[in-house]
Parts: sequence; structure tokens; C-alpha cells
Amino acid sequence: MTTQLTNRAVARTLQVTLLATALLAPAALADGKLAIKAGTVITEAGAEPIENGVIVIENGRITAVGADAKVPWDAKVIDAPEMTAFPGFVEAYSPRGMDRPNENIDVAPFLDVRDSIDPVNFYFEDSLRWGVTTINVQQGPDCVIGGQGRVVKPYGMTVEAMTVENNAGIVLSASPKRGNSNATQAQALRKAFTELRQALEELVQEQRDGDDRARREALYQGRDLEGEKAKGRAMTGAGWTVEGLDLVPRGEVDEKLEPLLALVEGDVPAFFYCGEPMNVHQALEIARENGFLARTTLVLDASCWKAADVIAEAGVPVVLSSELVDRERDPITGEEIETFVPGVFAEKGVPFALSSTNASTQSLWYQAAMAVGLGLTREQAIQAVTSTPASFLGLGKRVGSLEVGKEGNVVLFSGDPLSVTSFVERVVIDGEDAYDRSTDVRVKQLLEGTQPPGTAAAAELDEKGHVHDDGEVDTKDEKVDKGEEQSDDDKGSGDDDEGGEDQ
Amino acid sequence: MSTAMRSALAAGLVLACSAGLFAQEEQRDWKIFGEKVYTATGDVIENGTVAVAGGKIRGVTGGTRGGDGKNSLRAAAVTPGMVDLSVRVGAGTDSVEQSREVAPDMRTAESVDVFDVDWDVQARSGVTTALVCAPDFDVIGGLGVVVKTAGPSGVRARTVKADAVLRGAIGSQPSFRNHPAFGRPDDFFSRRPTTRMGVEWELRKAFYDAAAARGSDERAFPGSDELRSVLEGTRPLMLQTWTTQDIRTAIFFKEEMESEGLGHPRLILDAAAEAWKEPDLLARSGAAVVLPPYPLDGRTSDNSFMTLDSAKLVHDLGLPLALSAHGSGDPAARLDRQAGFAMRGGLSFEAALQAVTIAPARMVGVDDRVGSIEAGKDADLVLWSGTPFETSSRVIGVVIDGRLVLDPRPTE
Repeated sequence: MTTQLTNRAVARTLQVTLLATALLAPAALADGKLAIKAGTVITEAGAEPIENGVIVIENGRITAVGADAKVPWDAKVIDAPEMTAFPGFVEAYSPRGMDRPNENIDVAPFLDVRDSIDPVNFYFEDSLRWGVTTINVQQGPDCVIGGQGRVVKPYGMTVEAMTVENNAGIVLSASPKRGNSNATQAQALRKAFTELRQALEELVQEQRDGDDRARREALYQGRDLEGEKAKGRAMTGAGWTVEGLDLVPRGEVDEKLEPLLALVEGDVPAFFYCGEPMNVHQALEIARENGFLARTTLVLDASCWKAADVIAEAGVPVVLSSELVDRERDPITGEEIETFVPGVFAEKGVPFALSSTNASTQSLWYQAAMAVGLGLTREQAIQAVTSTPASFLGLGKRVGSLEVGKEGNVVLFSGDPLSVTSFVERVVIDGEDAYDRSTDVRVKQLLEGTQPPGTAAAAELDEKGHVHDDGEVDTKDEKVDKGEEQSDDDKGSGDDDEGGEDQ
Repeated sequence: MSTAMRSALAAGLVLACSAGLFAQEEQRDWKIFGEKVYTATGDVIENGTVAVAGGKIRGVTGGTRGGDGKNSLRAAAVTPGMVDLSVRVGAGTDSVEQSREVAPDMRTAESVDVFDVDWDVQARSGVTTALVCAPDFDVIGGLGVVVKTAGPSGVRARTVKADAVLRGAIGSQPSFRNHPAFGRPDDFFSRRPTTRMGVEWELRKAFYDAAAARGSDERAFPGSDELRSVLEGTRPLMLQTWTTQDIRTAIFFKEEMESEGLGHPRLILDAAAEAWKEPDLLARSGAAVVLPPYPLDGRTSDNSFMTLDSAKLVHDLGLPLALSAHGSGDPAARLDRQAGFAMRGGLSFEAALQAVTIAPARMVGVDDRVGSIEAGKDADLVLWSGTPFETSSRVIGVVIDGRLVLDPRPTE
């Protein structure tokens, strides 16, 4: 009886959900075909721009790109002859879009940002506004070992709808967590792995002793002990291994330890934060000892360019901070030394991605443009915000350029994507029309503001600053057209009634 | 003080511009070639060469090829040195007169610190001339001084114009450290204004007192002459006004002085973040406007909101417009970036260039010496890697009074 009721309730909820989804679904989803005709199409870093190019997206994937690509008869068309189409930017590491990104538990790889990501957080709306279409959301670096990250697109009503890739990696920090010293941080990092090893060894020992405590615990906690989880599997990994783990059903490994085991076995990527150059050695050593160096990406503070040689030798890629120039001052001579950070890594041949902790005017387009001014080639700079971060996230075949087979993430700029006067006009994500600047109230306010009602009255005060006593206050709800005609307005007296005509 | 920019380029080229000021101090004659020379007051000169001799500009010739001799420099573009009227470098809180809140006779020219290491950052970012005022903790803080950002270490040698403006502030800053006594012993800060109306009262009272002291030795007080120079219109009054409320106060103050027959103050509204809010009022005032640095999301100091089209609006009203970076050394927020943001908000390139060169120079009366590339003016020039103010361009060379401050030539 109870079951029946529940089923009916579920069915009803499902119906409502389906209805809601149908109502919310954008028009483009209905037929799944979209064609973008743009005056210029820049398919990827270094590619020759295509004049009057067409991008066809079917069921979320790009099916044709080129000047002569055929537009399917039933496709929705975005006709933008004055715009430039560009692949969506990729943010390689971002601790934003969540409510409080730093978990206080030192070692918490069992947490998942899925439970923290807020789909209506302004960060995602802003990302869309600046053309960022793929974001690797990770825990903040104020931790020892953080939770599991998730690659999302800044579009969708739920975390699931936003998800591009789950289990996108685990954050570790070689930089002291608040309250830790450098030494305690290093100890805590090492201890986490030592404890994992001990726990695994204990499990094996118990198994050999015929003790079924782990099994009982797993069953008590309602963990899955079926299928793969019922089988033991020998431990892999380039660092250390525990012999005899093949005897232990994987489902018996404590779920708090499981993500860390996956890290040591090289199954998930690691994002290792370094706040100072001295942290780099530590991070690389810990990654090497524990077998996940090959899957490590360093997330670096600007000062870490000093460790570039070590990083190049280790062969790991890096995510750079939005501080493109590291500035230091000699305390004695007062001499200021500026180092262009991406330039150092480019020279050493270290793959690098640019990042932006703020989703604002200084978003990824700004980082790339600044980097060009400071010495990168245009190709290098564009790579560092599109294809390079995509490859770091293991999404090299899915995002980062406008190629057949890739996801339909397209940004339409009003001009050259790296020009200070260009704006993101439209954003298409997975072939869906996700953003249109002409309907974006917030960017309009940032650009033009909203004049407070009643402000026009101030200009109609007389010379002594007194309000006219005729009881008529001209409240202009609409913003006055800020054109040239404004300067013709009487600057002298302000007595004349000029409010009416420029409505 | 030598400067070094260590910039490793992708090609493996290490670009170090330093060479040290002293080493090249003597050389003040240059042939500076720009594929485009933007003079700020005249036409754009294609393939121009600016001739510099004895620290002055001798002239510009178009259609040249540019040499590669010892005294030749070249760049994609050449503009006049930039002028920042709100640089906030070289005068710290120790330049604030603490004994009174109205201190019009205090001269920043006497207290500006030319050894402040931040000057170096300013000079290398292309800001060659700056107005220095004491921080705004007094209602009227004193007289500002226009200086060059690099050059000989003496204050006088750096000074372009002493006592160029009288500086005051409206809003929360002059009163925020003051407090009522409330049981505590009566101290200095409890005798000063604690509200913005108190601040405004002090401002108006000072000018009324100064007007009353005209021709009367008895009623004269320290600073009354300086205050009267503002009423007589011989010296501009620069007021810090972040919010639309502050801007109104400043404009109504000016109109009050005029309607009471006390004089005609020439207003410069500094840090006027909300200048966009009441265009009609602003246009009526005829005030000159110095905008603060563009915030990332609109919100900025004193709870004000600054829109991206602020500069365009002020320019379209026909008012004198200047931009400022408030002395930021951040390569993402320096004065050239501010000009870029203004263009993002719709300001034309020409107007943006003027807003960081000739327009601020005119506001403080130093346009006879700086602010444009014209024969006879000081050789203050900025060399650019590409189109000025574009995000993908940067300042690669700076010349101040003919002295090479930032060397655009790549060195091994």
C-alpha cells in the first residue's frame, strides 16, 4: 500500500517535472539543429579566420564548419554578419560558483563540489556574459586535500544539467592551510597518504586473518558489495602499492579513503596548488612518491615562475593566476623587477593555461589580450584560454575549438575577441542559445547604469539651488538619451522647461 | 634608481629594459619614430619622427622611415606622455595637516616625496606628469602641485607648476575618523565634523570667511588668500566627490557662491564615479570631471556605482574630461587600461587619448608645457607596442624631458 502510494507520488512528480522541462526548454532544443552564420569565424588558435563562415550544430555537436557549409533546411539560424564567432573559453581551475569553497576538514577527498555548486550563483551568469563556456569547479586551495571537482558549463537549472564531466579531479595544497605552517602542511599531506597505506595494509591483514570486520562495516553502512565492488583488484599506481589488495573486495575499502586510493592509482587528476615557489618542490615530490605525478596539474601563484625549471623537468602542466606580471621590489635599492609569468613558462616549454578568478571585465579574454601585449604570440595566448585548458581537463576532443565533432560551444563577439572594444553578443552552449546581450539587463546596467527617478528635477533648480514651486516634478523613469543633444541643453540657468522634448 | 623589466618572451628573448636612468641621463636628444604618431591636438602623423633636443620637442616629420642610430628609438605608436590628476603617490598621510580641517595654505609642493618608489612605476607605465595632493582627510587639504614622475631628484626641478589647485573633499572621507566625545576625554577628533553636513558646513564657512576677509587685515586668516583665489577664479577648486550626493553638494556650493556674488569658482570634480547619474545638472555646472579607475562590476568607493559609459557621457556633455588610475601599479589597471575601459564604454579613441593627456593638462594649466606633441613642449613621450589603449598593447618606452626612462630597444 505504502509502495503504491509512493509510486503514484513519484509518477505525479515526474509528470510535473517533464512539463516544467518542456516549458523551460529553449526553442533550439526542439529540433536540435542550429546554424550560425558569422562575418568571421575563428575556429582555433592560429587558424586563418574564415570570412562569412557557417557553423552547423546538430544535437549539441558541431557537424560542419566553413564558408561553404550547408545549412540544413530545418535548422534555426543565427545570422550575424557583423560578428566574429569564436570557441568558448575554458576555465582550467575555479573555486567559484559555490557557497564557501573551502572545507575546514584537512583531508576531505570524499567531498564533492556537486553538493556545493549553486546553479543560480551570479558567477555562472557572469561567466556566460564573458564567453566562458567550460569551467572546472574545484574546492578552494585553503585545504590539505580537498574534495572532488566537476567540469560544468555555466548553463542549466541543476548541477546535473550543467555537468560536463564529474570526478574531474582532487585539489591538494602545498601551501599552508590557514593555521598551518609550511612544515605542518607538508606533514599533513604526507600523513594522509601514510594513513591510507596503513589502512589498506590493515584491510589486507584482516582479510588474511579471516576477520570480516570491514565487510560487516560495509554492510552496516549500506555500501555496495555487488559486482565489481565484490571483487578484489590488485593495486596499481606508479608510486607505492599494497600487496594483497586483490584479496579485499573493493567495496570494503572505506568510502572516505576510496577517492584518495583512486588518486594514488592514477585514476583521477590532481590539481596541486602552490602559493610560493618553495611549495613546488614539495608538491612534485608528494605527487611523485604517491604515483600521481603524471596526472598532476599545478595551480600556481604568480611568484612560482621561479620554480619553472623544476616544473619543466617534472613535465607537469600549470594553471597560472590572473596576475600575469610578478612584481618584486628590492628592499635596498628600491628597484622594481617585473616578470611576465606566462612568458617564462612559454620559454621553458611548459604547457600553461591562463585563468581568471573573477568573472568580470578582466575575464579570460582580458587575460589573453594582456598576455599578447606583454609578449605572448596571439596563437599562444588564445591556446592558453581554449585548447590547452581543455586538454588539461581531458576534454581536448570535446571543447576548445570549433571543429566537427566537438561540442557546440560558440561565442559571438561584436569584433575581434581580444579587442578592448568588443563585447560578447551571443553565447551558444551545446547548440543551445544560452546568452544574448541585447536582453541582458545586468550588462546594460554596468554599461549605462539606471538613472534614479527624479534626478532630472535637480537640473531644474534655479540659480540659488531652490526647487521650483510649481509642484511639478519631472520624473524620468527612462534614462535620458545621452547623445550630443544633451550638451545643447541650457547649461546656464536651467530655468527653462526642457524635460519634455527629449522623451 | 634603475628599473628593470624582465620579460621573457616566447621566442626565448629576454627583454630587459633598464639601462639605468643615470647612465643615459645625459642623452636628451632623440629621433623617435612611430608608425603612427598621435599628437593629441592635431592630426595623426603616419610614419612620423619626433625630433627631441635638449629635453624639448623640436617638431614632428611625417613619411619618415626611422633610423637605427644610437639616438634613434622606434615603436608602433607614439603618444604624448600621460597626465594623471589623481595619482595618490608621493604624499602620504604625513602630508595631511592635522591641526585644522581647513588648511588651504598647506602646500603639497613643500611635502611631495620625489623619492617615493612608486613614482618609478608611474613613470614606466607612461604617466609622465601628475598632480599631487595630500590625502583627503581634511575638508580643505591644501594646494596641489604638478610634477614630473621622473627626472632630477630635487622637488623644484621636478615641479611643473606649484599650487596648481586648491584641493578639498566632500563625502565620508574627511569625517570618518572623527567622533563625538561620548564620555571619552575630549580630544582633537571630537572637535572636528563627524557628518557629511558638518563637512559641507566647514567648506562653505571657509569661503564665506575668506570673502569677508577681503581687504580686511583683521579678518584675514591663514589660507584666506588661497580661498579667495578660488573665488576669483584664478585657481581651480578640486573636490573629491565620489557619489552623486557629493557632486550635487559641490555644484550647489559653486552656484551658491555665484548667486551670493562671492565669486566664480572653477570646479574640478575628482573621483566623480557617479558623474553619469545626473547629466543635466553636470552639464549646467560646466565642471571639469576626473573619473576614478573603472571598477570591475560597477561598485566602487563610498558606495558609489560607476558605469562603463561614464567617460563617453561626460565627453558628450561637452565637459572637460580626464581619466585616472589613482596611482595603481597593477598592469591590469594602469592609466592606459583606464583609457581602454573608457573606449569599451563608447568613448572614441581621440577623446580617450585627450582624456589622459591634453585635457587634464588644461584643467590644471600646464598645457603650455605638456599634454601634446608640439614643437616647443617638453619631450614627454610614450612609445607603444601596438595601438595605444588596446588590451593587447603595452607601453614599451617612456621619455620624460628627453630622458629615457623606459628603453624600448630589446637588449640581450
